[in-house]
This record gives sequence, C-alpha cells and structure tokens, in this order.
Amino acid sequence: MPRVNAGRTFHIKDRCQLRISKRVDELAPSGIRAFFDLVLGMKDVISLGVGEPDFVTPWHVRARAIESLEQGYTSYTSNKGILELRKAIAAFLKKRHQISYDPEEEILITVGVSEGLDLAMRAILNPGEKILIPEPYYVAYGPVVSLAGGEAVFLKTSVENGFKVTPKQIDEAAGPGVRGILFGYPCNPTGASYTKGELEAIAKVVKKHDMLVISDEIYDELTYDFQHTPMFTLPQMRNRVVYLNGFSKSFAMTGFRIGYVCGPADIVGGMAKIHQYTMLCAPITGQMAAIEALKNAAGDVEAMKKEYDRRRRFIVGALNDIGMTCHMPQGAFYAFPSVKVTGESSLDFARNLLLQQKVALVPGVAFGQCCEQHVRISYASSYENLKEAVARIEKYLKKK
Amino acid sequence: MSKVKSNSSTTVRALIEVSITPQKDVGFDNIAERIYSYPEVKSCYLLSGGYDLLVVVEGESIQTVADFVAAKLSSMSHVRQTATHFLLRKYKEEGQIFKHAKSERRQNISY
Repeated sequence: MPRVNAGRTFHIKDRCQLRISKRVDELAPSGIRAFFDLVLGMKDVISLGVGEPDFVTPWHVRARAIESLEQGYTSYTSNKGILELRKAIAAFLKKRHQISYDPEEEILITVGVSEGLDLAMRAILNPGEKILIPEPYYVAYGPVVSLAGGEAVFLKTSVENGFKVTPKQIDEAAGPGVRGILFGYPCNPTGASYTKGELEAIAKVVKKHDMLVISDEIYDELTYDFQHTPMFTLPQMRNRVVYLNGFSKSFAMTGFRIGYVCGPADIVGGMAKIHQYTMLCAPITGQMAAIEALKNAAGDVEAMKKEYDRRRRFIVGALNDIGMTCHMPQGAFYAFPSVKVTGESSLDFARNLLLQQKVALVPGVAFGQCCEQHVRISYASSYENLKEAVARIEKYLKKK
Repeated sequence: MSKVKSNSSTTVRALIEVSITPQKDVGFDNIAERIYSYPEVKSCYLLSGGYDLLVVVEGESIQTVADFVAAKLSSMSHVRQTATHFLLRKYKEEGQIFKHAKSERRQNISY
C-alpha cells in the first residue's frame, strides 16, 4: 500500500529500510536543489546568487590569522570562546548601545550564526512548542525549529507592507505553546529592515505574550536608510532576546565561521551546554582574526557598506527601469524583485534566465511559498557584473 | 620572458637609467633637454645616486622602445651608459591602486 510523505511516494518496505531518522527524513526537501546543481555545473555564469560578500577579508585581519598560526595557536579554546574575544564583543556592544553583557556568562562564540540558531532552538524548545517565523525567511529557520522538535508557524508578509511582519500578525498567532519569534533583520532575502518605532511595536506584543525573540542581526552593519536598532536595546527586552550576530557579512569573513550569541545567562548557558558536546569550540584561527576585526576593521566595514549602497541604488533603479518591480531594500545586500511581468514561476524564471542568458539568481520560492513571484538578487558582485547582468535580464524579458 | 603588461592596450613603458658625462658650465641641463625633447620621452628626472637621469619612455612595443634606446639615446654624445627596465605590471600609480581581476573563489550560488 503506497504512503505519501513529504511529497514522495514510497512503500512500507521502503520505510522499514530507512536508515535516517524520521525527523530528518521529514525535513522538507529543497525544491530548488536541482536548480542549484544546475548553476554549480555551469561555467561563465554571471552569478547574482551568492549569499556572501564579494570582498576578501581585510588584509590586516587575514594577517592576524596568519600570525596566530605562525605563533602556534592551533589548539582548542575555552568552550565559550576566547575570553578576550568575548570581552571585546561586550565592550563593543557597551560602547555602541550602552547595554552590558557579562562576557563570562552571557556571551558564547559559535561557528557562525548558523550554529547559534540551532543552539538557540535546541536550548529553548520542548517537543511540540512553536516558534513564529515571518515569511520570507532565511532557509535555515524552519529546519532548525523542526530539528529541535518544535513547530514553525510562518507569518506571511508581502511587498505591500515592505515584507515586514506586523505586531497584529504576531498578536494573533501568539498563544499557548508559542515560545517566541525568530526573525532576521535586515532580512535575507528581502533586505527589509525595521525602524526603532516598528521594533518597539513588535516588542510590546512580545512582552504582552511573554515571548522570546531570537534575533538574527548578522546584517546589522549593512543598514542604509536609518540606524539599525538591536532588539535587546529596547526597554525590558534585554532578558527576553537571544541576540545572534557574527563576522561573516559585515567583515567579509564567511570562511572564518565565527558568530556569537548574547543573551540571558540561563539561555546562553543552555546553549553552551549543547555547544560543548557538539562543537567543543569555534576554530581558534577565526577567533583570533575576529578579535582583530572587532578592534581595527571599522573603517573597512564602512568602506564596504558604501560600495554596497552604491550598488543597491543602481540595481534597484535598473530593475525597475526594465520592468521588474523592485522595492528598495533597507539593508543586507539583496534585492527582491517581482517576476510577475514574465508570467513565470520564480523557479522557471531563474532556470530559463540561467540557460538562455547565463545569469544566476535564487528563486524566491526557496524562502517561502509567499515568494513565488519574486527572485533574490545578490548585489555582492562587482558593479560591472551587475550592469552586464541587468542587460542580459532585459534581453531575456524582451524575448518573452 | 614575462609578458609585458602595457600601460594601455597599445603601449609599453620603460624606465631607463641614463649615466651622463656632465658638460662644463651647463652640467646636465643641455643633455637632459635633448633627451626630453623626444616625444617618446614621457618623463625625465635628474636624480642623486648611482646614475644621473631617469627617463620614462613609451612605445608601441618592446622593439620600438629598444630601437629608441639603441638608435637615439645610447648613441647620444655624453651619454655613457643606459639600463632599460620594462614595466611589467602596474600596482599603484599617482596614489591609485590597480587591482587585477582575481578568479572568483566563491560558489556560484548560496543562501
């Protein structure tokens, strides 16, 4: 007797032979995996599909990593991360936001924000508890919740409200068993971010329902139109926010894999418990480099931000000019234009554009069902590449 | 031999050290004037140190520059010796850094 599971059909016999856990088996298969494989197998592609900076890590940061290796720093570090790095993070946040975190108990160095997300969910969720996730979402959000035994509840947003979740949506979805909300701002994939006023309205609902906020702020330094406000800086929010950040995006250090978590001691302590058994510690070379970045790379961050902003203005203007409606993203390095004008699904558009014009981008459907008519364009690519890509997209549209 | 990187798509550039026997009363000025009057010479400096003039020459090819040095510069009276250095790659000039395109090291697509 056939059974249907996760969009596939298999037989009881097959189920008995399954060697991976039901939880992993039931992780939603990525519908665009085949598209990714197609992109990775093609040469001479102009890619606007890359979710990482095109800048190389600033030289002095790389030099510190090299120097640390020369000095023989090749060991494990403290589970929570090098104390000097945790102290530097605490000092940075104190100076910038006038909020103190105890580097001994309230800060944990992770292997990128990705690990922090996973740890946060495993630390706070009991089986069946729910986490609210605004959609579009970063692709890992849903899986980290379900892998932790929780249930993700998606709150759909749209271009009409700037792809931002509203306090009303949160209020309506909150209730028994809902532990908190997980969201990232500026957002990957939409570039949407929230003003202080918008965050205060969200915080009010969060407090009303005694929820936690798992706040992924990895793109915070790349906020263009207003000043970024961390969720933990809002009144009475510090003790209900798990703040996730890292060095990958702002400092162009993706390969170093260094993130960090700041939060209440009980939650960070819980996360550290899991981290010590599963990761032991973040790589020492990356941590050494991160100390240098935090102390001396502010100028590099500012220069990269300026260049991203220049590209942002170009790409959004150019896309609108050729007929792809695109809202102005407020942060990160992504534009999220509509492909409605083509009459194609986001996946079909991406596949056809790739095959016909050799331009790669990410279909919106990867970030939630509500994004079926959008694609994510990364402007972490040279100005020349962006110009050429827009010309090719225009050519594609004209042939339609 | 390394491929010469031209200044633009049509020129190569060479820095030429020129040693000179100075003339009575006028020193290096007369001979310098004769040298910098050639249109091939883009810059000309009198230097302290192991040689006298540093001459920057541009030409369409290595051969063009070599011919200029052999036929016009080296054979000039009071020029004792020349040493020609072809410019291979420009890293920085007049405060501007020239970055050469690096191969893409990132995956073509990622979240």
